[in-house]
Amino acid sequence: MNKTLLCTVAALCLATSAANAEAITVLVEGGGHSLQQAAADAFTKETGIEVNFVEVPYQGVYDKLTAEIASGSSNYDVVTIDVVWNAAFASHVEDLSDLFTDAVKADIPPALVADANVGGKMMGMPAWANAEIVFYRKDLWEDPANQAAFKQQYGYDLAPPATWQQWRDMAKFFTKDGMFGTDVIGATSEEWMAEVLQAGSPGVILDADGKVILDNQAHIDALEFYRAPLCEDKSVPDNALEINWGEAQNLFYQGQTAMMKFWAHAYKMTPEDSKVAGKVGVAPMIGGSAGVAGIPGPWYNVIPSTSQHKDAARQFIAYQIAHNALGIEAPLGLAATNSAYASYMGKPGYEHFGPLLETLSAPATRGRPLNEHYQEIVDEAVMPAFQGALECEDNVASLLQDAAATARDILGQ
Amino acid sequence: MADRTPQDAGKLVINAVALLLVLSYALPYVYLVSTALKPAVDVQQIPPSFFPNRVSFENFGMVISTAGLPQAFMNSAIVAILTTLLSLLIAVPAAYVSALYRRRITVLFLLFALITRMVPAVSLGVPLFQILKSLGLLDTTIGLVLAHTSTAVPLALLLMAAFFEGMPKELEEAARIDGCSRFGAFWRIMLPLAPGGLAVTALFSFIASWNEFLFALLLTSENSKTAPIFIAEFNSVYGLAWGPMTAAAVLYSLPVILVTLILQRQIVGGLTFGAVKG
Amino acid sequence: MTERRFVLLMLLPAVLFLGFMVAYPVALLVYNSFFDVKLIDPASRVWVGLANYAEVLTSKRMLESAIRTLKYSAFALSFELLFGFGAALLFSAIAKHSHWHRTIFALPLMISPIVAGLLWRFLLVGNIGILNYGLAALGIIHDPGAIKWLSDTDIVIYSVAVADIWLTTSFVALVSYAGLMNIPKDLFEAARIDGASAIKRFWYVTLPMMRPVLAVVVIVRGIDALKTFDLIWIQTQGGPRQSSEVLSMNIYQRMVRYGDLGQASASATLFLVFMIALAGLAYWKIWRTDRG
Repeated sequence: MNKTLLCTVAALCLATSAANAEAITVLVEGGGHSLQQAAADAFTKETGIEVNFVEVPYQGVYDKLTAEIASGSSNYDVVTIDVVWNAAFASHVEDLSDLFTDAVKADIPPALVADANVGGKMMGMPAWANAEIVFYRKDLWEDPANQAAFKQQYGYDLAPPATWQQWRDMAKFFTKDGMFGTDVIGATSEEWMAEVLQAGSPGVILDADGKVILDNQAHIDALEFYRAPLCEDKSVPDNALEINWGEAQNLFYQGQTAMMKFWAHAYKMTPEDSKVAGKVGVAPMIGGSAGVAGIPGPWYNVIPSTSQHKDAARQFIAYQIAHNALGIEAPLGLAATNSAYASYMGKPGYEHFGPLLETLSAPATRGRPLNEHYQEIVDEAVMPAFQGALECEDNVASLLQDAAATARDILGQ
Repeated sequence: MADRTPQDAGKLVINAVALLLVLSYALPYVYLVSTALKPAVDVQQIPPSFFPNRVSFENFGMVISTAGLPQAFMNSAIVAILTTLLSLLIAVPAAYVSALYRRRITVLFLLFALITRMVPAVSLGVPLFQILKSLGLLDTTIGLVLAHTSTAVPLALLLMAAFFEGMPKELEEAARIDGCSRFGAFWRIMLPLAPGGLAVTALFSFIASWNEFLFALLLTSENSKTAPIFIAEFNSVYGLAWGPMTAAAVLYSLPVILVTLILQRQIVGGLTFGAVKG
Repeated sequence: MTERRFVLLMLLPAVLFLGFMVAYPVALLVYNSFFDVKLIDPASRVWVGLANYAEVLTSKRMLESAIRTLKYSAFALSFELLFGFGAALLFSAIAKHSHWHRTIFALPLMISPIVAGLLWRFLLVGNIGILNYGLAALGIIHDPGAIKWLSDTDIVIYSVAVADIWLTTSFVALVSYAGLMNIPKDLFEAARIDGASAIKRFWYVTLPMMRPVLAVVVIVRGIDALKTFDLIWIQTQGGPRQSSEVLSMNIYQRMVRYGDLGQASASATLFLVFMIALAGLAYWKIWRTDRG
């Protein structure tokens, strides 16, 4: 290869990037683009700094950012990342502590502030958040015949489920006429993790000090409860291990299930001509002995240490959180701040904001552990135990003890 | 063609069997097309129906109106065509000598070429990213062509070597006696006699690049984003747009059907080397 | 020009290109396998010698996935060869009129692999997928949830191979067909004049002439089958309970999801050595004709 030619090409590239000083490049997944476009437009109008979005599929965000950081220089000034990657990227991004003013902190649900803090560093600013809430068929719940029959059978009024017991009762009750009460998702374990918190565990998988608590009583209780509709009540499709988010959502839209726990954004996305359009009701996530709890699904704006335009990037992130409500008109309709949600509360079409905010702000709600081995622990330890439990044979406690041993092994405890 | 009746009857049976086989094999593809033609609400209907209850073009409408589609298709076409040409250019001469001038070095070379196909693509991604970055070729058509060619060359090499292997070496010797140089014998005599091998090799180099995902994901972002990435974006964390995704996949398969038809016509049998040899 | 120089000149472009584009990544792969190093931070690395290899070779999980990978590949490859070569023979019997047949047969190749993976997932999922509804309608199974293609740990590794078979039988068929067409007609004529039956002609003319092509098909498809992971990942993510996890999925998870470049590189290197051995074997056993 011709060395001089290489140098010329490289020099040309540097020259072009320097010429665009008043522009920042933001790496996003599709949803992150639509939720932030309005804020970016307003930001450009106000500051003159151009915001250029590079939209890639979900896995592309992680892969590209990793490759950029590994190669030592970056074309991206802001990257919007899924919270599950926070720990992995924490030591390769800028500290944003100065953007977390008291006013900003007071306006963001505490669980989201906590997820930004990796080892004392505020590594990102939430851009929007999501959590699972309860979706149910209003038409079925409001049907007087159902109400009377339910009251007679279970001794209390039919209302949206709020507790574990109510969830099981209603799932059983509505398993009739070719319909299932609800679904059990077996292809991913996140929904069970929310129930671990509802059962009063101080954390999911790990406690605040990073110790493995995968086999504590709350994890066991939650898994027993999680599999009960499948194994005992028969109130869900029996191929739970094949069911992932997409299948669960589709079963509900197709009128095959009477209720589901699902991410709040789906409320706005109910297909207009589907069987359940106009009949969907929402309620906060169910609660166990520790009350309502959810696992937040926020995305964070981070600045890679390799960015060439860190000041402009900082300005954009500060602007995005200050004008967080601008994203709500986008198809996904999500935000991160209390004030953004409050500004839409009570508007028709935004009935899910109340339950979502209540779930996000519930005292027992907290994020997944911010550990760089999190993904490995989930894949190697949690999933085998979780899916083993859903085969309805093995003892839950012993499955979780094995899983805990594997997790301790991974962490070297 | 044959003129005896039993043979005609046999041909008819073979034709029928072949048609049945081909059609049943195509069923999943037909289902994909039929899914794309369903109205959004029926796309994931339970219980499912094979054919649309009502034909609707809304999925196609949505795909076509998505910004970036023509660009992505164009990028894919350019990358696939350049990859095919470059792969053939690099692989065919090497395959020729590997097959007709076999010696230890060519055998070792073929094994070496295979190694490049054996490495898990995930392990190639980041080093390739670094190479292209240092050349300033990230997010360029040429960069992606280089990456795709690196995986297409081993396949092209092996396929072409196998086809040359099937050709009589005497043919080359005869050409040389008639005054051709070694290269002349390759270029003017042997290569024109392998249109089937060339067509198949070109077809698979083209398709491999056309559908490639992993390198395209890592090595392109805006300027040279190809259609597989564009299509994958219909599957976001917030839900799968299966209707539009199938519609995009069907649209994306149409140009390849054309390419396949054209190249398939090159695969004709009945070479009689005896005649050439004289 | 001497023969030697001609050979080298003809090889040169390929050697240079592969050397430039692939030798560096492969060398880096082997190099990384001796370090404790993170994907995201390759600058800071700790030499660990053969520790990564020791870890990989003593892992029960790796052994299980290796066995599963072999099962998967053997299953997929044998059906692909059977169907693909069978189809090629069928097409060659109707040679002149088969280009539409062959084009339709190539349709699976034209779908983006991601879409193909999802398509098969949706075809197979119980209670939702159309396959079980079809089987139920034909009376083969009693209800659409009866066979759990993707969640029955005993069959899932074969269920996910069906998509692979569907996608790549076309490759085998088209390459074999071109190989069949490449066989000089006069060989058949000579055999026919000598009074050889169709079966004998197949055995003594077709098969020997097809050896190189079949060898390439076996080697290429074998390597690809051993390497498959994205198709399986889309369908099951290796589950349930890791019962559809294959070796290259382990490597992918370790490298990308856990960022453990060192250990992933050690697995990949071992995998590579194993495949080189297999490919060498296939080359000597099938390809090598008596020429040269």
